[in-house]
Amino acid sequence: MEDRPPHDEELVARAKRGERDAYEEIVRRHQQIAFRTAWVITGSAADAEEAAQDAFVKAHRALGRFREGAPLRPWLLTIVANEARNRVRAAGRRERLVLRVAEERRPGGAVPSPEAALLDFERRDELLAAVAALPENDRQAIACRYFLDLSEEETAAALGCPRGTVKSRLSRALGRLRERMEAADA
Amino acid sequence: MPELERMLSRLGEELAWPETPDLSARVTSRLDEPAVRGERPARRPLGGLVGLRRTLVLAAAAMLLLAGTVFAAAPGVRDAVLDFLGLQGATVERREHLPTPPPERPLDLGTRMTLDEATERIAFAPLLPRALGEPDGVYVREGLPGGELSLAYRARPGLPRARSTRLGALVGEFRGDLSPEYLGKVVGPGTTVERLTVDGARAIWVEGAPHFLLYRDPDGLIVESSMRMAQNALLLEHGALLVRLEGAFDRERALAIARSLP
Repeated sequence: MEDRPPHDEELVARAKRGERDAYEEIVRRHQQIAFRTAWVITGSAADAEEAAQDAFVKAHRALGRFREGAPLRPWLLTIVANEARNRVRAAGRRERLVLRVAEERRPGGAVPSPEAALLDFERRDELLAAVAALPENDRQAIACRYFLDLSEEETAAALGCPRGTVKSRLSRALGRLRERMEAADA
Repeated sequence: MPELERMLSRLGEELAWPETPDLSARVTSRLDEPAVRGERPARRPLGGLVGLRRTLVLAAAAMLLLAGTVFAAAPGVRDAVLDFLGLQGATVERREHLPTPPPERPLDLGTRMTLDEATERIAFAPLLPRALGEPDGVYVREGLPGGELSLAYRARPGLPRARSTRLGALVGEFRGDLSPEYLGKVVGPGTTVERLTVDGARAIWVEGAPHFLLYRDPDGLIVESSMRMAQNALLLEHGALLVRLEGAFDRERALAIARSLP
């Protein structure tokens, strides 16, 4: 395969040498996960946008301290999540995270991906309601680990807690969801 | 992964995430800002609104650029077509430059239905590759003569998820004899295109860098909304049909799937 995109490691090395286009590529590559993580924490798209933007600027300044060979994403997410939490703290309140499913059918007859269409709609709505009813900490853990598909390490970075805490929080949250889903089935 | 966790992962894919703003230019323009401890950089006016509008404008501009480039690149128009291959129902062109990728859209395969319903709607007998088992989703698009059938297979061990479709495999079938130029592929220099035969039938294997997949209406005009980026794909003539296999699999796997067609 020709034209393989450069690895993060290579981009980081180039960005450290002052190559701006390399850092721009890093931002482009990670901005979606950064923005969505910040959104899960702040509950506001405007705050998430600012948090992600500021985080990328700060990460650039901190690149010299970034350990060579370490995975970039958890490190970036730590900075993003800090920025996001700072905003929540500064505002003294957190906007309620509104999770909803994308429109089933869009104008023009386009449909969601087949994978998406395969999920039983009713079960899905029940599950979404169960997630919405979780305590804030549990919901954030579920959102990071499953909705954003972050690794445990990245989830820990995003939530600002040790991996052990992530594990126990996830296990508690999954237990609660299971109970609710079983109650809905009964 | 237990069922509940699988459901949560799938739910994540279906959520209405707010649109991710393009931060790259704004971040780059701020890299020279002095770092002042405790002081937040100036807020942009109007918060996220400006960013959103800008993203939309950029997306629209990208679409216009893309449309222009692809139309200008249509066969017969002066531009460097480096290579051109054709099958019944499909064309593959290699271009010197690939246009800007279209914005990501949900995959539009038509209407979801059971295999029995699909069989009634299309003008051919559906072919199910035995190597893939039962499809997880069956779709029919009726805009072309004979209709187009799509079979969707979830990712699973041995069938990795393709970025372009989020599926393990996508199989498309239509009457290539009735719509000779329905399907088009435009590939750039980073994509390998190979002509081969599968049990005596003509086929084209496309692998490597993502390429453009597009559809043409009965007048041969490109349906803009149909353009998307695609991954590895095998195009195969099968009787009167044109069969397309798309996925993150390699050539050998694609050929094995193709050979398992009835």
